[in-house]
This record gives sequence, structure tokens and C-alpha cells, in this order.
Amino acid sequence: MPSPDDQTRHRLSNLVRGASPWLVAAVVLALLPYMLRNSYHQYILNVVLINVILAIGLNIVKGFAGQITLGHIALAAIGAYTSAVLSATFGFSFWLALPASIAVTALAGAIVGIPSFRLEGAYLALATLGLAESVRIIISGTDALGGAVGFQNIPPPFFGGVPIDDYRSYYYIVMPIALLAVYLALSILQSDAGRSFKAIREDSLAAAASGINVRKYKTFAFVLSAAYAGCAGSLQAHMSPGFLNPDNYTIAEMITLQLMVVAGGLGNVWGGIIGAVLVTIFDVFTREFYLYRMIIFGSAGVLLVIFLPRGVGGLVQDHFVRRRFKDIREAKRAGPEGVNGAA
Amino acid sequence: MRPSIRTGLIGAASAAALAAFTLPAISDDGVIRIGVTLRMISENGLKYGALTKDELEAVNASGGINGHKVQVILMDDECKPDKGVANANRLIFNDKVHIIIGSTCSSVSLPLVDVTAKEQVPEIIPQSTNTAITQKGSAWVFRTSVSERFYAAIHAKWLAENAGKKVAYLTTNDAQGVSFAKAYKDYMKKTYNADPAIETQMQETDVDARSHLLKIKSASPDVLAIGGQQDAIARIMQQALEVGIPSRVRRVAASAASNAPVPELAGDAVKGLIFAAAFSCKDTRPNAQEFVKMVKTKYGVACPDHDFSQSYDTVQLVKLALKTAKLKLTDDSLKEDRLAIRDALAGIKDFQGLASGPINFCADPTPQCRDGNRTGILVEYTKGGKDYDTNVLARVSFEPDFGL
Repeated sequence: MPSPDDQTRHRLSNLVRGASPWLVAAVVLALLPYMLRNSYHQYILNVVLINVILAIGLNIVKGFAGQITLGHIALAAIGAYTSAVLSATFGFSFWLALPASIAVTALAGAIVGIPSFRLEGAYLALATLGLAESVRIIISGTDALGGAVGFQNIPPPFFGGVPIDDYRSYYYIVMPIALLAVYLALSILQSDAGRSFKAIREDSLAAAASGINVRKYKTFAFVLSAAYAGCAGSLQAHMSPGFLNPDNYTIAEMITLQLMVVAGGLGNVWGGIIGAVLVTIFDVFTREFYLYRMIIFGSAGVLLVIFLPRGVGGLVQDHFVRRRFKDIREAKRAGPEGVNGAA
Repeated sequence: MRPSIRTGLIGAASAAALAAFTLPAISDDGVIRIGVTLRMISENGLKYGALTKDELEAVNASGGINGHKVQVILMDDECKPDKGVANANRLIFNDKVHIIIGSTCSSVSLPLVDVTAKEQVPEIIPQSTNTAITQKGSAWVFRTSVSERFYAAIHAKWLAENAGKKVAYLTTNDAQGVSFAKAYKDYMKKTYNADPAIETQMQETDVDARSHLLKIKSASPDVLAIGGQQDAIARIMQQALEVGIPSRVRRVAASAASNAPVPELAGDAVKGLIFAAAFSCKDTRPNAQEFVKMVKTKYGVACPDHDFSQSYDTVQLVKLALKTAKLKLTDDSLKEDRLAIRDALAGIKDFQGLASGPINFCADPTPQCRDGNRTGILVEYTKGGKDYDTNVLARVSFEPDFGL
């Protein structure tokens, strides 16, 4: 029986082991802007992180809970416009508009989730696609939301009375939020809820038979995913120059978002991150070759699906699994002590 | 085999990611760098971009401008504001351009004005028409295209006097369609206290406007106002004929109607459609006819629309400003050079280009000073199809304050 001192030491050691990767990541990310060449790269980094939040959100509902949704971009639009209206029209500060837009989008997510009780697969995809288009069309036709021309003059966040309107300062708002979003996603997905999502994805009938409240967890997946989309939308809205347009929330953007999740790896938090980084940078890179851009983009998508069906995240996961088996094999060869050691 | 392809894919992606953040910024001393961001996702869009680049780089053959070579960085913004902003950020911070030309769509030009104003980079807008663009108070923006505040008055007044004041509005929900209808309605209300006979809106991608048109037919309007992009205008013109809206109901459309695909797609259904524009290929001035010939030879367009002429005029204005401005063109003088170019643009008076009237800029950051082209023409299609024909009905010049 370990002594209380041993137990405390063990807990402390676990805490340090658990927190240290996050601390290292936070330090590296905090220093990253100083390694970039100019504000354009800083701007791209902000866009990458916002896309990371969006992709993780989509991965929760699609990759983990197995619900095929094409309405995620509409949820981002709802978050963005809610934040814009609250701050530009009603004078809310960014710090209030951000949580409010997350709450409103989460509520919208619950509504989007309702069809998932009765629909699955392509039918659910169609229903959510319809919702996405409806949101865009409603925004286009609503003068109070700037209509088709766009919503202008969205104020930047203020910190101690100072506007955070340059890309580097804004990064220090986006980065901690993105880091927190990753941490929360990992925590939730390792909890009972995460296991329930996976059970529903594999077989919703079997999940229900084993006592999982399928409706509750499906709704929770949609709400959680929508909260991520709302957060990303709000961050998009307040980044300089503070302008929103419904044309930034079309089916094309939805496909790009899906590509991020597929390229990174479905059902893998790190996959969402890798996918968002790769696709955003690929998008930026190919913009100069505007004549061939769509061909390059499309071909890359097809090649990825053929050669990396589980995305880059799946490849990384395979690598670790293979290494684990290799270690076990080597330990077996070393004898019974080695097996115990490896186990 | 599989692992090597996978490794290759990942390697390529990683290299791309690394290069994106480590490629050195352009900083060739002594070169004038011009950034262009336009909507180039259509055949004509690509040609506007090509014309802009070709005309600017043509000066290099004769030694450049004041001995300085010109480098053009041309980018497509796909008419999407976020892509336009990303392009502008790249051009300003990474390519360190001295001036930006762009964009085509108002929804892109609006946020671009904020970006260039904040970073103090001169910007000249070749094609966007939204009135609000120059009302933002930016000291760094100039516009070659005719503002919507002038266009609306040209066709609204002519139609009120020649057709009637009972107007039916059918618009698609894109920025151009919406702002066209708004400007027309505002003018009719303000000038004649006339409310719309009927107004209805459809999606930009809708292909069937017949239900809207039948509703409009039953309202018996004097004028059918069509707001939208070129393909929507062509479709609506055809379907208006199909549902039996009589030809006595005059058809008027947004300035996108001047683009060649409208008469080509609509065929003879386009006959009688009128629109306000900045240029007509029937313009008999020698410089206009020379331009029409050049566009036909180089870009294969027999009757260039006003977006071609506005791109061309914009390039001439930029060249003029670069020639006048005293540029040092070193890394350290970038800010100073941008200011000199802005001031040179602001000093341009009575520029006679392809526009139907002179272009004038001045120093104040107001629409009066920065909406340089205040002359529009009213054009009517007299024949549709590939060999379409037009007729200029009116030419109107406005005071700088008009419509504000």
C-alpha cells in the first residue's frame, strides 16, 4: 500500500506530465509571431487558428458522433453575425459579444440537431445543407444584417481602452481561445460523452440498447459543435477590417471546411488541427495560380482521399500503433521480463 | 509504393507550409510594384486582369516609368471579401506594393478601403459602383468607375420622362442587384414621390424567374427594373418575353447589362433593354475606336464593355500618377513613395480617357473628390446575339455633390 506522501507525489507527477505539453505548446505559440516575417503571415496564422476551431467543431459532430452535417458553415455565420450585431448595433464589447454569440449558436445547433433524431446519412446531409443555404439567403435579404453588400464597421476588441486591431495583438486573443478549444475537445472526447459519441457513430441502435440516451448525446454533439462554430464566427467578425458578407458562407466554404476535416482525419482532434493548417495554407499558396487553382485544389482532394483515406491524422495514428506493436514484439523477443516491462 | 506516395504527399504539404512562412518578402529596390486584385472567375474577368497587367507592364519595353521598371502582381479575389482582404494583406505586407488596383465587386472594395486606409496605401478602384465606397472618408482611395449615385439618376430620369413612373423591381440578392434597385427606388421616391409598383427578389443562382415575372405582368408597370449579374439579366430578359410582358414595358438593368454575355445569351430578347454605363464601343472618338480595335485583336472581344474601358483608364491614371510622383523606390522610402503616389493621383485634373467625360480627383477624402468619373451614358440594345448592336440614348454629366 503506497504511503500518502507517495500518492501525493504520484498525483503531482501526473499533473505535471499532463500539463507540461500544454505549457510547452502555449510558450511556443506565444513566441510564434516573433518568428514570422510580416503582418501577412500573422494574418494567415490567425485565419489558420480560426479554421482550427471550426474544423475541431465539425469533427466533433461528424468524426466522433458520425452525424453527416453540411450546415456547419451556417452556424459560423450565425456566430459571426450575432457578434457583429451585438457589438456594432447594440454597443456590446467583444468580451460580452463572444460568449453571447457562442450561446446563440449553441442554441441554433440544438435546433439543427433535431432532424438528426429521425434522419441519417444523406438525408441528414440534405436537411442541414438546406438550413445552411437558408441562413445565407436570410442574411442576404436582411438590411439590418448588411444584406448582400455586407455588414461593415464591426469594432475590434478593446483591452484596457486600447483597440486590438492589428493582426499580432489579435493573435493573442485567437491563440489562447484555440488552445482552450483543443484542450476542451480532448477532455470531452475522453469523457463519458466522448465514448457515447463514438458508440452512436458505430451503431446508434446498439448504443441505445446499451443504455446510451442517443437523442441527448446527438443533441449534445450538435450543440458542442455549434459552440465551436459560433466562437470561430465571432473571431472572424472582429478581426480587422471588421467586415462580413454572406458570400463567405457558401457551399464552397462548406466544402473547404469538410476537406479540412477529411484531410486531417475524421474522428481525430489532431486531424482537425492538421487539416485546418494544411488546407488553409494550401488555399493561400494556390491563390496566385488562379487559372489552375481549382484544378490543383480538386486534384489534391482526390489524391488525399485515394492515398490517405483516414487523413494525415490517421497516418500519424497508424505510425504510433505500429511503433507500439514493434515495441511489444521486441519486448517478447527479449523474454518474459521484457513483456511485463513493455506491458 | 503506398508509403512512398504518402510520404511524398506529406513532404510536399509540409514544404508548402514551411515555405509559406519563410519565403522572403519582395523588396527589389528601384522597381515600382503594383498589386491588382480583381474578380477573375469569369472569362471576361480574366481578360480585365490580363489587360490591366499587359498595359502596365508594356511600359517596361520602353524603359519603364521615369527609368523604373514596373512589376505587377495580379490576384483573383473571386468576388469574395475575405479573399480580397487576404490579397490586399499579401500585397501590402509581403509584396510591399506601392499602389493597389481593385476590386471589381463592391462587396470586396468596401473592406479593401478600410485595409488600405489603415496601412496608408493608395488604392484605385476600376469597376465597383457602390456609393458607400468613397463615403468612408479614406484619404487613400480613388475611383475610376461611375458611382451608383450617378447611374441611378441617368436611367431613372430618362425613364420617368419617356416611359413612366410605375416601376416593377426584380433583383437577385447580390450586392450589385440590391444596390441598383435601392438607388433607383430612392431616386424615384425623392424626385417624383413614386413608390415601387411591385418589388420582388430571387436568388442569384435561381434559373426560373417566371413566377416573379407573372406577378409583375399582372401589376402592369411602365418599367421593369432588373438588378443582378449578367447571366441573371439575360435569363430574366428571355423569360419576360416568354411570359408575355409587352415591349411597351421598358426594361432597364444594372450596369452588368453592358457585359457582352448579356446580348449573346439573351439573343433578340435583349432588344430594348437599356442600361447606364461609362463607355460604349460605338463611341466615335479616335482613341475609343483605337481601343476597341486593340481589345478585339489582343483579347478577342469585338465590342468591349465598360469594364474593359474602366480597367484601361485606371491603368492610364496610375501611369500618369507614377510619372508625376517623385519616387525614391528604396525599402526605407516605401511609406513616402506611397504618399507621393496618392498625392499625384489627387492632383489629376481633366483626364481625357475612354470615359464619356473627364476624370477629376482632388485632395479631400470625400466622394466629391474621389468619385473621379461623373459622366454616364444611357445605352439601348438594338440587336441581340453574337453580333449585337447598341444605341446611345443620352449622355449626362453631374455635379460632384449630386446624389449625396
